[in-house]
Amino acid sequence: MTATASGRHGESRQWRRRAATALFLAPSSAWYFLLLVVPLGILLVFSFGERAPEGGYAAGLTIDNYLRLPTRSTAFVNTLTLAGAGTILCVLVGYPLAYYLATRAGARKTLLLVLVIVPFWTSFLIRTYAWLTILGNTGIPSLVEALGFEKPVFLNTPPAVMIGIVYNYLPLMVFPLYVSLERLDKRLLEASKDLGAGRWRTFAQVTLPLTLPGVLSGIILVFIPIMGEYLIPALLGGGKVFFVGNALVDTFLQSRNWPFGSAMAVGLILFVLVAVALYLRVGTRGRVEREVSLV
Amino acid sequence: MEQSEFAKLYRALQRGNISRRQFLLATGLGAASAVLAACAPGAAAPTAKPTAAPTAAPSVAPTIAADWTPPAGVNLGKELYVTTWPNYHDPKTLERFTQLTGVKVNLTIFGSNEEMLAKLLVGNTGWDVLVPTNYTFETYGSKKIIEPLDLAKLPHLDPSRYDQRLLSPAHYPAGSGPLHGFNKDWGTTGYVINTKHVKKPMATWKDFFDLARTDYSGKVTIHDYQLTSIGNALVYHGFSFNSVKADELAKAEKLLIEVKKHLFAITSDYQPPMKNEDAWIAMGWTNDAAQLHKGNTDIQYVIGSDGGEIWSDFYTVVAGSKNREAAYAFLDYMATPSVAVKDADFHGAPLVDSAMIALQSAETKNNKITYPDATSMTKLEFGTAELLTNQDRAELWARFKSA
Amino acid sequence: MDRVFRGQAILLYLFLYVPIGLVVLFSFNDGERTGELRGLSLRWYERALGDEFALSALWNSLVVGVWTSLIATALGTMAALAVNRAPRPVRVALEALTYVAIIIPGIVIGIATLIFYVNLFEWVNPWLAWAWTSLGLGNPPVLQSGLHTIIGAHVVFTMAIVFVLVRTRLAGIDRSLVEASADLYATPWRTLRQVTIPQIRPAILAGALLSFTFSFDDYIVASFVQGPGQPTLPLYVFGSIRRGITPQINAIASLILVVTLTVLTVTYLVSRRSLQRPPVALNEADAPAGGGSNA
Repeated sequence: MTATASGRHGESRQWRRRAATALFLAPSSAWYFLLLVVPLGILLVFSFGERAPEGGYAAGLTIDNYLRLPTRSTAFVNTLTLAGAGTILCVLVGYPLAYYLATRAGARKTLLLVLVIVPFWTSFLIRTYAWLTILGNTGIPSLVEALGFEKPVFLNTPPAVMIGIVYNYLPLMVFPLYVSLERLDKRLLEASKDLGAGRWRTFAQVTLPLTLPGVLSGIILVFIPIMGEYLIPALLGGGKVFFVGNALVDTFLQSRNWPFGSAMAVGLILFVLVAVALYLRVGTRGRVEREVSLV
Repeated sequence: MEQSEFAKLYRALQRGNISRRQFLLATGLGAASAVLAACAPGAAAPTAKPTAAPTAAPSVAPTIAADWTPPAGVNLGKELYVTTWPNYHDPKTLERFTQLTGVKVNLTIFGSNEEMLAKLLVGNTGWDVLVPTNYTFETYGSKKIIEPLDLAKLPHLDPSRYDQRLLSPAHYPAGSGPLHGFNKDWGTTGYVINTKHVKKPMATWKDFFDLARTDYSGKVTIHDYQLTSIGNALVYHGFSFNSVKADELAKAEKLLIEVKKHLFAITSDYQPPMKNEDAWIAMGWTNDAAQLHKGNTDIQYVIGSDGGEIWSDFYTVVAGSKNREAAYAFLDYMATPSVAVKDADFHGAPLVDSAMIALQSAETKNNKITYPDATSMTKLEFGTAELLTNQDRAELWARFKSA
Repeated sequence: MDRVFRGQAILLYLFLYVPIGLVVLFSFNDGERTGELRGLSLRWYERALGDEFALSALWNSLVVGVWTSLIATALGTMAALAVNRAPRPVRVALEALTYVAIIIPGIVIGIATLIFYVNLFEWVNPWLAWAWTSLGLGNPPVLQSGLHTIIGAHVVFTMAIVFVLVRTRLAGIDRSLVEASADLYATPWRTLRQVTIPQIRPAILAGALLSFTFSFDDYIVASFVQGPGQPTLPLYVFGSIRRGITPQINAIASLILVVTLTVLTVTYLVSRRSLQRPPVALNEADAPAGGGSNA
């Protein structure tokens, strides 16, 4: 910043600038400290404690809770599997759409892109709820039955949860893919064709590698939140499809084992942090961080 | 008749669109009250001092809360927070209370006592009235979560009219201590079946868990509630509903995990799937069974002949409640026989106060779901206090849900 | 090939919009249950709008949403403006905290914040009681969970989002204008007001909008830190869903959709207007080439 510092004017200006900076940073820092750092700290402390007889926290210093985390491994593996599968589905479904929007949609592409994002702006709860009717007894199963087949059960199954995941997170995947595809220099594609490469070859060797950052952005934007999902498995899983999120809520609000729940929460945070760190290590070339826009 | 039909007619009566006579004729209550006036009070203990003697024609419906008036000169405030179970209170009963007192009743619904306890342990719940089940008094009393009832504030309550076996858990310390609550109702834990689809005879928990894995796979639900789900799995193996023995629990856990993939859902809100026919068999409680049957006579209620639970729910006042006067007014209101009886018409659970039972229609008293034969309940057990806080059972349930 | 692309795009748009459409459709259902369309009627809207509990839940959500948005936008923007001038440790700490706030699953935030509040109240309330009684001030205030605790938790996440958005935008603005302003002896405040802020306004608006939408739609955090008898709309809807799907819920859902869409549209229109107004130019010749198309 240009600072036309000149003698005593400069010094007092420096001081005032520092004061202003501090003033501007103080409220948010205080908020973060009070409502993020302290709570997480308490969570950490609790994770080393013991369960009071009727539930809740009793002071203690033990790593038992962490040692017992594997007993919930099924829920964790479930979440990992469905989150992974859901993310992959999102990529498989979202990429062609993003490709179409970026390259073939012409003048209307912004409008069409907005139309993809709009559902994402509407209520998450309502969108998930929408599937309850469709997948429930009076929805698609009735339709299938009317066509003469045996009535299938969709609700409260892993596929139902998967549909919910893809439905809710697809826009979040399409956006970075679109941005990445849009920035692709089309001349490279032309050059590839001129050099005799077929459509698929061009895709595999030019398009895909160049849009990989977008794919990775999308994967991170989708996979991480799904790991912490609660609503979709709660509504569409009926207690049968159990995510880490559901296990966490249950541990606090049913079995009332706060220390263990805290250990689970800490475990989840660590997992997420490690996953993102790995991603940054593997997938990043400076620019990509800028592309990870949350809008 | 359909509950919603009844509600429509009652509303019409309130608005003055139909006359009292038309209402009584349409709903059949006129006939019922005539029968009531003609017979003696029902099967319960005879120390009856009915506070509202059933007279001819306009009886139950129009004079609903006329027997209860708010306590004089007491500031009740504007809000009351009641924590209770699903489908347990007639909205009209609550509306009537608001009309008489100006106090808005806010309901918080839970599907298990464990969840209620979890919130209470966190503290600062802001609840005033709590509707817990019989086995919670040890815990709630010892942790001073609920307060001993101030009987002076409950003129309409007469504990002597209550079946002592059902009322006794409310004494804390057990036996001789002061009353910490009075019964709202009692009931059993069995299962509902939709006989339109369920053709095989079902009478025991053995039938329930076996058929869930074979013929009716995918159409069965169990409670999201360790007490009843684990309890009934124990009964399947011939053990006690209340067992906390490690080897017995292990067997129950194995059964539950095996059944899990055959379940439609694990939920204490089983009325929607039953009504929707997403589920044909659901582990359930008396009151829900009565309501479901009223809406669809194909739905029957089965009390396991090999065992199960008999329970009672109570009205209690949360210690440190901010709206204490309103809480006591509400409790007094619900202790009034005429009010409780009308409420029971909605929720369908059997009552405990002999005066209330006396006021109920013959139709209700003959309803085998609401008032089952004593013989069908011989093997049922009351839940024991330690189950609420037993770590093994809580841990088992958490493992089961995560499995 | 084009047809394949267009076909799959159409299918996807159907996939995205049909469920929401069904929710809205069945809200006009004259019958008692969703899934069986029996004539059209507005009676469920009547019921929904007359339902006191639903209305008070809506009001709670609006209050929480607006406050969250205001606080998060203010604090986040201030932090974004000042952070680059802060000493390195402070800057890194703030960035790390922002990162953590965004990545952590909502459940963990909900649980941790709840535990924090509970302990805080347990600790503070006796002091308040002591202070009030010794000063003879009558009934001491009792701290309790309520709408304010929800706002507190919501701001943590939304402030981070605003911070990222504004900071990204800030990095992209034309520095020469700011420098010019300083060279012309404008005070830092004036520069801020007349040069910097207009250029980052789209990001601020986007941040405000996102904060409101997130807060309005949040279920999981609110479910942990809510106070008694004061549910927000998602809490109310979720509770009702568990009791069964009725057209009334569909009506409420449709109304929620309308609200979120309206907020989105309004903000989009407003931010487009502010984009079309060129940023402050010191003289015509120096007018920079527009402020970017990102909203």
